[in-house]
Amino acid sequence: MPRFSLSAVGADRPGIVAAVSGALVDLGCNLEDSTMAILQGYFAILLVVSAGPDVDARSLESALAPVAERLDLVLSVRPLTERHGPTNQRDAVAWTFSVHGADRTGIVHGVTAALAEVGGNVVDLATHLVGGAQAPVYVMTLRVTLPSSPDPEEAARQVQQAAQALGVHCTAHPDDSDTL
Amino acid sequence: MAVRPVLVLPHPVLSAPAAPVGELDQAALDLAVDLLDTMRASPACVGLAAPQIGVARRAFAVDVTGHRKARSCHGAFVLFDPEVVASAEPEVAREGCMSVPDLTGDVARATRMTVAGTAVDGSRTVLEVDAFEARAVQHELDHLGGLVFLDRVAGPHHVFPRKVYR
Repeated sequence: MPRFSLSAVGADRPGIVAAVSGALVDLGCNLEDSTMAILQGYFAILLVVSAGPDVDARSLESALAPVAERLDLVLSVRPLTERHGPTNQRDAVAWTFSVHGADRTGIVHGVTAALAEVGGNVVDLATHLVGGAQAPVYVMTLRVTLPSSPDPEEAARQVQQAAQALGVHCTAHPDDSDTL
Repeated sequence: MAVRPVLVLPHPVLSAPAAPVGELDQAALDLAVDLLDTMRASPACVGLAAPQIGVARRAFAVDVTGHRKARSCHGAFVLFDPEVVASAEPEVAREGCMSVPDLTGDVARATRMTVAGTAVDGSRTVLEVDAFEARAVQHELDHLGGLVFLDRVAGPHHVFPRKVYR
C-alpha cells in the first residue's frame, strides 16, 4: 500500500482540515499520522497518508489542487518508500526540556546541537514567540530521549550549560510515566 | 503601600532563586503589603511572589477566596521563607501567570500539601492546603526557586497561546 507525506500551509481560516481531508477521503486515503497547528497565523498540516495501489503522488496532488487553489495553501506531496519504526533508542529515557528567554537567533540550533552532542534525540518540539515586538520572548519545549548510560542527568546538565551560554533559561526533568 | 509593576519574562529576577528573608524587618513587612496590594489590583490574580515585583526574597501572597476551584481557603495570606512539609496526589490542570501573560500550560501539582513558613506577625505557621489553593501555593513556591510554570509543563503540546483564536 503506497504511503505519502503531505504538508499544507496557508493563512488560517475555518474549513482547511475539512477540505483537505475531504479530498483525501474521495481518493480512499487513510490518515495514518497527523499533526496540525496554527503557527503565527498560518495553519500547518503535516500528514502521513496511505492510499490504494492505483494512487501516486501526482494523482494525490491533482486531487488536492482545487482545494489548495481555493484556500491558498502551499502543498507538498512526497512518496514514502520505507516503513520506519519508532526512532526511540531502546536504552533511552524520556526527558522534557523547557527553554525560555529573550528572543535571539540560534536558540533552537544551540540547544538541539548540544542535545545531539550528548546523543539526545528530539521526539517532539514546540516553540512560541510571545511578548510582542518590544520585548520578544522565545519559549521552546522539547521532549527528547537521552541515552540511559552513562548518565542522562549529566547529559541534561550539558544541554543546560549550552542554553545558559546562549543567555536563555533551561530546565529539564525526566518524564514521569507509569505503565498500568 | 503600593501596587507595583509585575515583571514579565525574560526578566532575570524571575529565573533566579530568591534569598531567604529571615527575621522580619520593616522591609519585609512593606513587601507583604505590596504583594497583597499588587495581587488585589488584578481581580483574576490568586497569588503573587516577591520576585514578580522585583524583590528576590522568599515571600509570596495567595488568596483564592471565592474561586470556583478552591476547597481549602485561608483567605489572603503572606508567607515568608515557605517550605513544603508534605505533598501528595498530583493532578494536571491548566494554569497561567501574570509574568507569562501570553501563554498557559498544563502542569501537574499536588492536590494536598502542607506548607510551613513565617506569617506577617512573625509566628511560625503551618498550613494544610488542597485543590486550587495547593496549586496556587506551589506555583508561587516555584517562583521563589526561579521557576515559572513553563519549566513544569508536561511536554511540548502542553503550552497554549492565550490569544483568542480567530
